[in-house]
Amino acid sequence: MFTDLLYRLRSLVRRRVVESELNDELRFHFDSEIDKYICQGIPREEALRRARLAFGGHEQIKEDCREAHGTSFVETSLQDLRYALRQLRSNPGFATVIILTLALSIGANSAIFSVISSVLLKSLPYPHSGRIVRIFLTSSIYPRFPLNPFDFRDFRARSESFDSFAIYTRGDMQLSGTSTEPVRLYGFQITSGFFRVLGLRPQLGREFDRSAELPGNGRQVILSDRLWRSRFAANPHIIGTKITLNAQPFTVVGVMPPGTEHPGNDYHSLAYGDDVDLWSPFTFQGNPNQRGSHYTEGIARLKDGVTPGQAQSELNAIMAGLGREYTNDANWQLLVVPLYREIVGASQRMLFVLLGAVGMVLLIACANAANLLLARATTRQRELAVRLALGASRSRLVRQLLIESLLIAFIGGALGLAMATAGVKALVTLLPADFPRAHEIHVSAPVFAFTFLVSAATGILFGLIPAIQASRTDPRRGLHEGGRTATGSGRLSRLRNALVISEVSLACVLLIGAGLMLRSLLNLVHLDPGFREEHLLTATVALPNPEYNSIEQAEHFYETLSANLAAVPGVEFAGTGSDLPWTGYDENTSLNIEGKQPAPGDEFHARYHVASPDYFRALGIPLLHGRFFTAADKSSAPLVLIVNRAMAEKYWGTDDVIGRRVTWDDHPKEKDWFRIVGVVGDVKDKPSSPGAEPAFWWSSLQQPFAFLAESLVIRSTTGQQTLADAVREQVHRLDPALAVADVQWMDEIVYGSVATPRFAFILVGLFAGLAIILAAIGTYGVISYSVSRRTSEFGLRVALGAQRLDVIRLVLSQAARLILAGTAIGLVLALALAQVLKNLIYNVSPADPLTFVSVGLMVVVVAVLACYIPALKATRANPMIALRAE
Amino acid sequence: MSPSNIDLPQGTLDLLILRTLSLGPQHGWAISERVQQISSDVLRIQQGSLYPALHRLERRGWIKARWGTSENNRRARYYELTRAGRKQLEVETDAWRKLAAAVAQILESA
Repeated sequence: MFTDLLYRLRSLVRRRVVESELNDELRFHFDSEIDKYICQGIPREEALRRARLAFGGHEQIKEDCREAHGTSFVETSLQDLRYALRQLRSNPGFATVIILTLALSIGANSAIFSVISSVLLKSLPYPHSGRIVRIFLTSSIYPRFPLNPFDFRDFRARSESFDSFAIYTRGDMQLSGTSTEPVRLYGFQITSGFFRVLGLRPQLGREFDRSAELPGNGRQVILSDRLWRSRFAANPHIIGTKITLNAQPFTVVGVMPPGTEHPGNDYHSLAYGDDVDLWSPFTFQGNPNQRGSHYTEGIARLKDGVTPGQAQSELNAIMAGLGREYTNDANWQLLVVPLYREIVGASQRMLFVLLGAVGMVLLIACANAANLLLARATTRQRELAVRLALGASRSRLVRQLLIESLLIAFIGGALGLAMATAGVKALVTLLPADFPRAHEIHVSAPVFAFTFLVSAATGILFGLIPAIQASRTDPRRGLHEGGRTATGSGRLSRLRNALVISEVSLACVLLIGAGLMLRSLLNLVHLDPGFREEHLLTATVALPNPEYNSIEQAEHFYETLSANLAAVPGVEFAGTGSDLPWTGYDENTSLNIEGKQPAPGDEFHARYHVASPDYFRALGIPLLHGRFFTAADKSSAPLVLIVNRAMAEKYWGTDDVIGRRVTWDDHPKEKDWFRIVGVVGDVKDKPSSPGAEPAFWWSSLQQPFAFLAESLVIRSTTGQQTLADAVREQVHRLDPALAVADVQWMDEIVYGSVATPRFAFILVGLFAGLAIILAAIGTYGVISYSVSRRTSEFGLRVALGAQRLDVIRLVLSQAARLILAGTAIGLVLALALAQVLKNLIYNVSPADPLTFVSVGLMVVVVAVLACYIPALKATRANPMIALRAE
Repeated sequence: MSPSNIDLPQGTLDLLILRTLSLGPQHGWAISERVQQISSDVLRIQQGSLYPALHRLERRGWIKARWGTSENNRRARYYELTRAGRKQLEVETDAWRKLAAAVAQILESA
């Protein structure tokens, strides 16, 4: 086997040497033969003749020997390749069109595949990441809810399913004491097993142990590699030193390696990625029998062989036991979700839709290429007939034509790969900011392999039919038909028509997809969000330092800051609140309503917020009834509440609910009731949510507990850029030790909130544009080919008195049949396929009549325009030239 | 060509070449001469089949070729058996004998 390979390789690589050796060998034989005859006394002339006779065809023997070398397939293929290159060079226009269209479509496929391969196919950057799961509570009201820490402690103690089980919760911290201005850092509080769950180890120091979970031991910190390098000069002796976080000394116990990705979380969410700066221990504080508070998220590593389902049943059994001990724990179930699905699940469908869309573009490009090749094969019939007549085998012809189409496909593929490399970079910048694993996307080895396979498949797909078709050439008829113009054979033109119809229908499908996405995007953009986003600056300020320990102290700071900001020139209103719309805030509570009983198994619930007097005015949220908060709504005054319209309508059936009362106390005294003083308009929870969930606001001076940080909202008249600096200046004038974070214009938040639908629309729109251009080229090609074949017919018609318009009508009516058939098929196909988009489009029916009608018209118009040029050409058919051509 | 020579059955050419080379290295012309001589002119190898066969055997690794000098002092390509070739010769000889015996038996009994 090995010698065989070596032998073939030598024959191939040292072809010239092997050839000359063969020559010498045969020459020697020939001469020996002559010598023999001469020795026998035969005259030289006669000896020569006999030797030649005995020898047979010299070239034939050589050919047979080459065959015996086992290299003839490669050699003739190389010949075919050279021939194919010559063919392409001799017809550069044809080659350019076909290669460019293929390059664009293969490139688009490779680019989308790069995203899929990096986001969906590559495993997460944690060892044995398939065993990592996220753990949530679930109930009929809250499908995914954070865990209570004490519940977690019981799960950890009693469950057998996990190698390691941890909880984590957002714990941003303010770093000061290094040379620069204080900064807000992204942080998480984690229990001891957190990094063991992820399978990661600190590059310096160690992970937290159980003792760090005890109250009083929490002042330890693990740094990210980035923070360690950027703020601490990669100090190798940092372990054991103290740094100042939230104005308290923390001991550094570890430094994580680069590429420590945050697994993503829901509650005060931070998307998957390497944005976390530091981790501090989660400490268990408070009464373990009070389990109503849920703010930690579970993550665990399953033991080998344990399925998420088994783990879920085990946890449910434990939860049922806890439910008997603690009232807060009744009615909860557990949800165990693989981390992979948690991170990429949401983007999966969109990516597959995009892959489907580029796949269709590629099919159109294939049909296009096949069409062009078919047209050319007809003009090459004469050449093929000659080769057949000279004894070329049909399989050899098919092979040669296939090599041509493969060559075209591979050139297109190589160009496409280059385009994809550039395209992927553009793609990543277009991606929504929270798109999972965006920074991991690049053109990698699997993408190369994919492009290679796609190119090969493309080459065979568009080359095979024309090749088989061409090999069917009858040498006699081929020579004959090539000699004079005639109408193409019926089967061939039917095939070409079918290709055009499918191109038009696929383009139609893509355009409808793009149209639906555009409608959905416009709906989202033109949606009334419930607030006014223009000229609205937002920021976050946290008050971790001890001088703000009480709510009064903290609120005094925010009040002063708001007043100072309102005095800045150009500022209309400045307020503070617990959160901003559309930033993922989702804090809920159950409540009691005066005079009402919830249905059994259900409870009154709503999302809670905090607002200062000017919060709503600054955001531009309209007041429907009653009043906003005032400075008089302080802790000593009667307790008041503002609710949104959704809450008013859900629980009282009317939006005028001024004077109604709610409470959080199960046995309320008179002072525990909150009186509703205002009803405000709904703000959609997310840009794409159908409406708003019930929500209410406490007056910031009456908030029952302190928030980690508050958001500033500043409405200005002009939206001047200097306002951001003014905000920092005002904060630091009050307290230079505070960090100002998330300084952002609200319209940027709004713009970012539609990033995903915009991304999907831009891509599908691009693909659809490409598709319609390809379909137009295809239609143009087929019609102009048929016009050129019918030149004599048109010439005759013109000679017999046909008008220009008649000829145009003749050509267009032939084209119209194809175009209408294609459009009709496309519309039906789109009707079926658009169901896939259901979850991706907002407020548009997948069968939206406007989109279907306008796309149908557009396709017909574009395709007819594409046929207009060949139709015009037909009218110029000169009867004399046409007849002479016969 | 003498009227008495017959066409070689499929597969026998390789056997004849291997057998001839088992006596020692030879060039192509000598192989064809030797076969013709030994078979008293009954078997004659056509050059058209000899050289492709030699190249095929070489590819399979049963014979190997090197350049040498012929009796009349010319550069000639000599072939010799390899170890694998010797084994192959035994296998093929054995197979041939069995085949010949079987054919003879049938011919005699019929």
